[in-house]
Amino acid sequence: MSHSVLTFIAKVKPDKVAELEQLLAEIADSLLEQTHLPFPKLTLLHFASLFLSKDETYGVTLVFENNFDGPLDAYLKELYCHAADGLHRIYSCCVDYPASSTADREQMLGYLRAHVVRPNAYHIGNPGRTAARIAQEAQLRDLLECTADTLTCSGHPKLPAQDLRQQLQAAVKRQPEFSWAANTRPRLSWAERVIPVITFWGTIVLAGLIILFFWQVTIPLILLYLVVLRWKERHDPVWIGAAQHDHVGQLTQREDRTHTFQNHMASFAIVKPGLFRLLTLRAVLWFVNLKARTAIHGELSGIPSIHFAHWSLIDGGRRLLFVSNFDGSWENYLDDFIDKASPGLTAIWSNTVDFPRTRFLIKGGARDGSRFKADARAYQVYTNVWYSAYRDLTVQSIDANSALREDLYQPLAPAGVQTWLQRL
Amino acid sequence: MTELERHDIQGIVISSYIHLSCAAYVLLRVTDAPKARRWLAEISGEITTAQGKQEQTSTNIAFTHPGLAKLGLDEHALKTFSRPFIEGMATEYRARILGDRGESAPPFWGWGNSNCDRAQEHNPNPPVDILLLLFARDEATLAAEIERRRASFVASGGVEEILLLEAGRQPDTKEHFGFNDGIGQPVIAGSGKKERQQQRTHHATELPAGEFLMGYTNDYDVIAEGPFVEPGRDPGNLLPVIPPNTQSLYDPGGNHDLGRNGTYLVFRQLAQHVADFWQFLDAATRGPDNASDSEACVRLGAKFVGRWPSGASLVQYPERDPHAADGQLTNENNFGYTQTDASGFACPIGSHVRRANPRDSIGPDAETARRSANRHRIMRRGRSYGTRQPDHFVDDGVERGLHFICLNSDIERQFEFVQLTWINNPAFGGLYNEVDPVIGNLDRTDGMMTVQCEPLRTRVHNLRRFITVRGGAYFFLPGINALRYLAALTT
Repeated sequence: MSHSVLTFIAKVKPDKVAELEQLLAEIADSLLEQTHLPFPKLTLLHFASLFLSKDETYGVTLVFENNFDGPLDAYLKELYCHAADGLHRIYSCCVDYPASSTADREQMLGYLRAHVVRPNAYHIGNPGRTAARIAQEAQLRDLLECTADTLTCSGHPKLPAQDLRQQLQAAVKRQPEFSWAANTRPRLSWAERVIPVITFWGTIVLAGLIILFFWQVTIPLILLYLVVLRWKERHDPVWIGAAQHDHVGQLTQREDRTHTFQNHMASFAIVKPGLFRLLTLRAVLWFVNLKARTAIHGELSGIPSIHFAHWSLIDGGRRLLFVSNFDGSWENYLDDFIDKASPGLTAIWSNTVDFPRTRFLIKGGARDGSRFKADARAYQVYTNVWYSAYRDLTVQSIDANSALREDLYQPLAPAGVQTWLQRL
Repeated sequence: MTELERHDIQGIVISSYIHLSCAAYVLLRVTDAPKARRWLAEISGEITTAQGKQEQTSTNIAFTHPGLAKLGLDEHALKTFSRPFIEGMATEYRARILGDRGESAPPFWGWGNSNCDRAQEHNPNPPVDILLLLFARDEATLAAEIERRRASFVASGGVEEILLLEAGRQPDTKEHFGFNDGIGQPVIAGSGKKERQQQRTHHATELPAGEFLMGYTNDYDVIAEGPFVEPGRDPGNLLPVIPPNTQSLYDPGGNHDLGRNGTYLVFRQLAQHVADFWQFLDAATRGPDNASDSEACVRLGAKFVGRWPSGASLVQYPERDPHAADGQLTNENNFGYTQTDASGFACPIGSHVRRANPRDSIGPDAETARRSANRHRIMRRGRSYGTRQPDHFVDDGVERGLHFICLNSDIERQFEFVQLTWINNPAFGGLYNEVDPVIGNLDRTDGMMTVQCEPLRTRVHNLRRFITVRGGAYFFLPGINALRYLAALTT
């Protein structure tokens, strides 16, 4: 099962900004009950968000982020079926919106299709699992945990491991609504696991061979590139400025509200002027995307907490839109960036204005932790509306739930039984 | 390594004054700024610094943001402080991230909630402007010291006492639940304390001074940013000039340094419900015949805390307290989790000490994890208050608990991070829907604690809050020069 990760991006009519913000606030205030965008009814949806960028050069931009199961058409159908009214009201505030009423189905969907932006790079924390499957597997865990509670007494399990497992299996079998657990495929097929890895390494080997084969041309080009890069790295200005208390205060109003502290972050960074940085950024994003396809255990460069993240070059490549749906606090997320994924993200954001000083594209940069965080906050925007279909689950718990289910009826060696029981 | 400017640093930063066993914290309000400043000028020479030990008493002083404003600090300078300090502890957002819900929510506090919007409905407290920290070697000396200080601020006519929080002598270093406390503590580079900590606990984590003092290099290798004033606001040049081209974040070069040698002080009054805690453990460990099992009861308590009552770590002593019989205390602290106890079979993943400092356990490898965890350390300076409960299981109706005090140069990255990302995180370390069993926000979950065990974990249900937040505030603990500057303000 593959996911779609995309945004609809539209410009807002200047005289409609206030009205749109009011509407988005209404939606956010009663997120699960409101009928404008009844997110819980969208069975294909994982995460969605709406937010604005107000920029002197690029005007007011509305981004509607969607991460969902399957292809766009099926999702649009669902969206139109449940949220036509809300969409119509929202996009009536936007430039060039042609539909005069929600009855104009083709006009509305055509408008959305025309405004789709597919990211240059994206990451999916739990590939292969639909929103419905994630919910089912969470219910299965609840059943297993409750059953396990009955199998211990005063801190001691009553039975040996193999018997405990049989009791747990029997408890699931007794419940007809869990019959799906017996005949469901693993989260990813063999091909889905292996092909991205082959593609990734194949590309690296191919690139290496090309560089070696045409070394008379490629080596001087690379050296020239590095000279220009180093000069720019020494001279590009970095973020200097007092902390923007009001702006950050506004951002934090939206944070840490879900039970397990899932959070959302959206930012619009400005790509440094000139072709050099833009081409570098495009190349880096292409590479990150290739690498991200091989991340199948919920980790992106050692960061274990990202559900969906995307990077999109917008406004003719002059701005970099980043959206992320992650577990834990913002501070923790940024720390993970700094401690675990510094080279990758430095390679991306060092091509945008104000980023901390770097060396050779991937060194330094985010390691200047306080400046990196101040810079990230400065370009982050307020998320007006944000919805998560499973706000109590982390990337890692979703993965653990899948592992519990996949091995539920598998024949396991004694050590495997131990490992399986430890997942509870 | 930069030398610490000890004469300008308040003593509490580098010492917990263990030789002074009695303490009192006086919460004050500014009623007349010029008179209050005159009083500050009077006592600024008597503030204990990090230079030389005082055998009888020690005195330190700290300010809230509204307090600094009332003393006349200019608006520009007031904005150069960090956001948590400016906003204060009792906001809706902070209540959320610190876990102050239910009875612990700011509207119910006994002090410190004056800037909380909803306080008016319940119990508005008078605003706290100044915190005076008094330490003395014994009860009589402390009483005399309190009277002397009282006389001086009453005579000044500029400040008024709101509340006196006393922390009397305790028989030993155990907190009220009965567990040896205050063992793990980072060491400030340049403080000369490393060897002593090494001897005391067989382990010392030395961190750059900038983690606990503004104006010094921090763990990110940049100068810990602090507040500053424009040169025109310091005509007497009481404050050092910030050199240009520092690596500091917003290059305040040329301005005068108000933060240097100062830090932020977090104060939270945590009432402990000792009988609730032990009665809960007793009920959870009764045998099939409903008889109490005192050994299992203490064992479960140790699983909650992560250390035995003696202080011995469960990682090193998974089976029993090595001092169960002799009642001795131990400060042994030389252990990690990844190598010996990655699964939490000895010290549960969700236990209090493992959450409060996960050491090498949260990360792709032990070294990265340890480095990352060390960016979120705090310097604890709190003390227990109230008498010991004679029988752990019998509620005597006496108020007791912990005056939790910690120091850090970045409240958001240190104290608040610990509360939000570790203590109150339901998914901490791969756990599922539980928070710190001792100090966590147990109002928002069904109150659960998983005790990892082979072959199958057990879960303890229906935990409730064993502590209640009674009050709290964020303070700025200035350097001595900065204190003199505040005393000399003219507006």
